[in-house]
Order: sequence, then C-alpha cells, then structure tokens
Amino acid sequence: MQNNREGQLKIYQLFSPVLYGICLKYMKNEDDAKDVFQEAFVIVFQKISQYKFEGSFEGWLKRIFINKLIETLNKKKKESFFLDVFDPDTDFIEEEELETIPIEKEKLLEYIRDLPDQYRTVFNLYVFEHMKHKEIAELLKISEGTSKSNLNRAKGILQKRILSIKNFKIA
Amino acid sequence: MKKHKIEDIFSSLEDFSSVPPPELWAGIEEKLDKPKKKKRVILWWSAAACLLLCLSLPAVLSDSGNKIGNGTSLEKNNVVLDENKNGENHKKSTSTEDQNSENNNEGILNTDSEKVTNPTNNSIVNQTKETAVAENNSETENTSKTARSKSNVSKSNIINSNTNQAVADGKTAKEKNDQFSVSGNQKINSEKQISNQAVAVKNYNSAKENRFNSADKNQLNASETQKLNTEKNNSNQAVAVKSYDSEKQNRFNSAEKNQFNTSENKKSNNEKGNSNQAVAFKNYTSGKQNGFNSAGKNQFSENEKRNLDKVLAEKTFTGKTTNSFNSTSKTQLPNSVFENNLNSNANNVALNPSKTNSTERKPNMLSENKKETLDRTQKSENAIAENTQKNNSKNNEVLTKQDSIQLIELQNIQSGLATFLEPREKEKKPKTASSGEKWAVEVFAGVASSENYKNDKTLGNVNDSKQSNSYGVKTKYKLNKKWAVGSGFKINELGQSVANVSYISTKNNAFLGTSDYLIQNATVPQIATNESYVLVSNTTRNALNSNNVQSGNLDQSLKYIEMPLEVSYAVFSKNKASISLNTGGFVGKLIGNSIAIDGTSIGENANANSFVYGPTLSSTVQYRVYKKTNIFVEPAMNYYMNPLSSQSFNQFQWGLNFGLNVSF
Repeated sequence: MQNNREGQLKIYQLFSPVLYGICLKYMKNEDDAKDVFQEAFVIVFQKISQYKFEGSFEGWLKRIFINKLIETLNKKKKESFFLDVFDPDTDFIEEEELETIPIEKEKLLEYIRDLPDQYRTVFNLYVFEHMKHKEIAELLKISEGTSKSNLNRAKGILQKRILSIKNFKIA
Repeated sequence: MKKHKIEDIFSSLEDFSSVPPPELWAGIEEKLDKPKKKKRVILWWSAAACLLLCLSLPAVLSDSGNKIGNGTSLEKNNVVLDENKNGENHKKSTSTEDQNSENNNEGILNTDSEKVTNPTNNSIVNQTKETAVAENNSETENTSKTARSKSNVSKSNIINSNTNQAVADGKTAKEKNDQFSVSGNQKINSEKQISNQAVAVKNYNSAKENRFNSADKNQLNASETQKLNTEKNNSNQAVAVKSYDSEKQNRFNSAEKNQFNTSENKKSNNEKGNSNQAVAFKNYTSGKQNGFNSAGKNQFSENEKRNLDKVLAEKTFTGKTTNSFNSTSKTQLPNSVFENNLNSNANNVALNPSKTNSTERKPNMLSENKKETLDRTQKSENAIAENTQKNNSKNNEVLTKQDSIQLIELQNIQSGLATFLEPREKEKKPKTASSGEKWAVEVFAGVASSENYKNDKTLGNVNDSKQSNSYGVKTKYKLNKKWAVGSGFKINELGQSVANVSYISTKNNAFLGTSDYLIQNATVPQIATNESYVLVSNTTRNALNSNNVQSGNLDQSLKYIEMPLEVSYAVFSKNKASISLNTGGFVGKLIGNSIAIDGTSIGENANANSFVYGPTLSSTVQYRVYKKTNIFVEPAMNYYMNPLSSQSFNQFQWGLNFGLNVSF
C-alpha cells in the first residue's frame, strides 16, 4: 500500500468531494463526518483489492462509506436508533406539493442534518441512494413499516422547514 | 414558482459534494502508515504451536519412557493371562479422538515501451517522429485582469521506437492561463497497440504578486487515441503536472487553477481493450498569502468517447471566458459540483474566468468525431475565488461556481487508478477462485478419554478410562456456504487402565516358567508379548494362592495415525462466529503399542489390530479472531470398531479439541 500512495492520493482527489458530501449528509456534526470520512477512506484503501470490477468504482466507494456511516450511527445511538414503529394513522400523511423558490444547497443540507439521526438516514437512503424501503429495512435491520414511517416523518419536518422559509420571505 | 415535492427540492443535493479539509488526507495517511498487525497472526500461530507442544510432550515422554522401560523388549517372551470367564469378555479399550472442524499502469511519462504503429490523428502510418513541444504564449496584463498563456502541446509519436512522448513545459508569468492540449493518437487496423501519452508540465512561479485579481491556471488537455479494429489496445495516458508557487501574494482575488482535461476517444471494434489513464497532480504552494479570498482549484476532467471515425484530437483551448456567476459575499466555503453531461459534443470545455467583462471564449477544437458514447462529467472544483470588493469595480475578476466544467469518464477514472487496478487485473482470476475462502487449514490438539459404558472387565477388573492426547492437521474444502468436506492426519493415542491386576513376574522366580503356566492353561489368550510377566485373573489368583502373585495397575496405550474423512454442515454462521456439525469416518494405522504395569513396560498388546476404523461425529464452534484466522473448540465423539483382533470389542471415545483455522 505504501508504494501506492500516489494512487491513493489520486483516488482521494477524484472522489473525496462527493464522498465527503455524503458524510456531511449523514452525520449531524462536521467533526463526526470528518471522522467517518477518514475511517471509511482507510477501509477503502485496505480493501481496494476486493473491488472486483463489478459495477462502478464510485458505487463501490459509496457503499463502503454508507455502510460505515450507518455503522457509526448505530454505535452512537444503539438504544434508540430505529425504534420507531410504523403507525398507519399518523404516518401516511398526504404529501403536499410546495411552491417554493430555489433554495441554496447549503441550506438544504442544513435542514437534512437537523433531522434526527434515524429520519435522516432513511431519508438519505431513500431520496439520494434511491433505495427501496425493503432494501433500507434490510440494511438498517428495521421493518419496512419503520422505514416508511421514518421517511414520512422526515419529509414532514423538512416540509415545515421549507414552508417556514417561504413564510419568512413573504413576511 | 414551481410546485415541488420534497424529494424534488432536495434532489439537488443528490450529487452534493464538498471538498474535505486538507488535513483529512494527512490523517488518512497517518492511519495507513500504521504498521499492520501481522504480529497478531504470528502470535496466534506461536500460541498454537506451544499448545501443541505442551499437549504432545507428555505423550512423547511417556512413550519414550515406556521404550526405555522395555529395555530388552527383544525378548520374545510371552505373557499369559487367565481370562475371567465371569467377567464377560476381556476387552481392552482403546481410545481415539477425532476432530473435525471447518473451517500500472502508472502515470508514466511516456517512457513505456510500446508498439506504436501509429497512424495517429493525422492518419499517417509511417510517421517516424513527431515532436511538438510547448508553445507558450503568455500575456501579461498588468492593469487589472488576467493574462493568459497558451501552450499547445502535441505529442511525439515514434513509430517502432515504442514511445510516444508529449512534453509540455509551460512557464507562466504572473497572471497566466496555461493550456496544454495534447492530441491523441489514432490507430487503425493494428493489433496490440499501445499508445502512451504523457504530458508533463512544470510551472515555477516565484514571488508572485497580484493585485486585485489573478488567475493562475494550468490546463492540460489530453485527448487520447482512437483505435479501430484492434484487438488488444492499451492506451495509457499520463499527465503529470507540477506547479510550484512560492511566495504568492494575491490581493483580493486570486484563483489558482490546474485543470486537466483528458479526452479519450476510445476504440471501436475492440475485443480486448484497455484504456488507462493516469493523472498525477502535484501542486506545491508555499507561502501563499491571500488578502481576502483565495482559492485553489484543481480540476480533473477526462472525457472518453468512442468514435467510429477518425478522431482528430487536437484541441486548443483559450481560456477567455465569461463568468456568469459571481460568488460575491460567500465565505470560503469551497464547493465542488459534480455534473454529468451526456452527449456533449465538445471534447473538452474549460471555462477560465479571466475577465469579468469579457465574454469571449475560444475553444479551438479540432475534432471531427462521431460521438457515440456518453460523456460523463465529473468536476472537481476545489475552490471559488471570491471577490469581496465586487462593489468597487466590475472589472474585478470573479470566479463562479461553475466557472469550469471538466469531463471525467468512468473508464478513465478506473484507468486513473492504474497503480491499483492494473496489477490486480492480472490477479483477478486467481482471486476469484479463492474469493470465497474455499480452503481452510487447521491445526489442533486436544484431550480424549475412552469410556467403558459396558462395564467391560479385564482379568476380572473393571477397565478405567485413561486420558490421552491427540493432535494433527486437517484441510477443509468448502463446497458451498453450508457444506464442506475435510480430511487430514491426526496422531491419537488410546489408553486404558486396569487397577489391581494380578501378575506373576517370572524374572524373580527361577522355578516358574511361563511355559508351565501356559501348559496348564492352554486356553488362556495371550495379550502381551513379554513372557517375563504372567497376568492372572482374580479367580486364578485365588486358586494359585501363591506368594509370587503380585498386583499392580495395568496401563495400555495404542497410538494411531488416523486419517479422517468428514462432511461438515454449517448450522449457524453469524458475524465472526460459526457452528458446524461434522460427521464421517476414519481409518487409523497403529504406530505405537505398549503395556505397562506400575510404569514398567511389559511389552506390547499382541492382539492389537494394525488398522482401525470407525465413524466420528463432532461439532465445531469457531470464532474469527483476525482476518482469516479462526480459533475453534470441538467436542467430538469417535467409535472404534474392533481395535483388537481376538475380541469383539468396540469403544466410544470422547474428545475435546482446540485449534486454529486459517482459511484462504
């Protein structure tokens, strides 16, 4: 590995922005994001020999990062993480279509990071990784219902935040 | 205002990227530099070896002791025993134990040897040597705006000399925008062609002082080759750029950009083609002082295209561009945006903001390509230069968020990782073969104890179990996730103790020979080979009522080398732990045979069969302690069938083995 340091640097330079972006989306605070980012990159370089040219390299990297992020989040909140139970009465909220002005990415990122860990994780996996609830449930070891519930609640929170901006701007 | 769903609103974050702080790489390097804990493996192996040694030592010592005690074992005297008919059968138990367990292309600056029958982009086949190096046009505008310099570099292609070289050396002035464009090679109807292209750029800037705005850009555009009708083509492209800036002082706005645009036009009709591109980039900046905002921008872009037509891949970019976006009041949050441009007809587009008011952009690109492919764009923007004094002058240069678009293609990304992936491609086949950790090797040692469930008696005395040791190696082959087969070798010792055995030692009695006794007891079977001792049963002892009859503890041990053949089924496997059930059979060959009374050898058991066999059943509890190294505990049960020739005698044996398992 030592001899491949230049190669590692190349990979780092090429992929670090997008991978760091993922870390920022999943972790609430930046220090945690940095820690996971470093640890995950170390794993990447240690396990790079396991990349079998199946699928894109970037996809492989992302999977490692997401697994690491979820592992970290699970460690942080072992007791309360993903304990939400799906409640059909409250969790099937009709999603509204919002009239909104374009919002800066930084702001959107802030909203996501303000979400509770479990909601944020499900939201990220569903919206950005395009995973189905079944896949999310398997990955997070939760039920599909919980996954749906978390997603709906996350959306609800985000919806409120966005509406509050709009109101604020109108006012 | 449009109506959006929440997902739509946030979908802009899908490709969100952000440049990590530079210190993170240092942290990663530090972690990578930590010595690997291979010592742990050595430690485990040492522990296993010690365990083996400790367990086998008593066996070895006792064995040698017996042999010493035997002394004149060449004496072929017969020891005779009287069989107690009331005691059912004389059985000698043997015990065994069986164990089952499961278990670069580098960014070379074109020194590579290659066969370049390169018709090149000019479609000239027999071109001998073509070198075009570096035109640097630098313009300096001292007033307020940027200066740019252009460097057009074309490669040198040497046919049959196996090198293609393109060297560009650009030296820039204070404010500069250097572009290097390297055209590619085209290969037609050639087999096994490799073209390497390398561009090296070094920029040395010293004592740079820019007022207001400065943009320092280096661009390398390398467009690589098209190969038609080739079978094996390797196209390696390496771009190395070093830029040294020292004591750079920029006021207000400074942007330093290094751009690498590599466009690769890929071959068509290739069966096996590798296109590798390595981009090496080093940027050393020292003593940089920026008054307000500074940004370093590194951009890598690679563009890959598959063309059916010839590619004239000579491109020249002039970086006079427009800034459509003013990153005015934002702080130094570096942004990086990844975008994908599909079906872009431009091989490479670089927008270099040099003047705010100038909206001039001159992409001089000569490319007649039929583009069939997707162009994937990846942009890495490391920084955005900001103009904090934008209100003062429109002429200040402002770098936009999207002031530069760079294309990077997936394949080039992979090829950019040539240092990793190229060697591994070769290893790919063997790796896939062993990817599932099909094989496992085990070393183990354990204790075993034979059990006398039938209350068998010898010479009228109950047989007691005797603990013995076993050790060995085993190999397993995984058939699938659940099933495995295994075999190996094991040294096992069976033991049996019989307390208060009566015997007559003829050594001390000159008047009584064993032959006398044998004559009198013709039906007495012979169990030991030393005639100096006559074993007698309890009933005979009472009958003899002789003072010569002594009693002592009779110990027997039979040592076997066994070869088990087992089938394993994994009943549980989670994380690092696994449990499996093993069953099968074994055959063993007798390699040691001794009988001792009160520690004194009296010869061998004459009835021991040379070979034994039997079924075995065991369960392995295994735990992965380090990478591919596992420890395991294995309770086992063996059943020995007819270890003795003259008797119908089978024996159970329980065992508990400990060991190490390494899978690969």
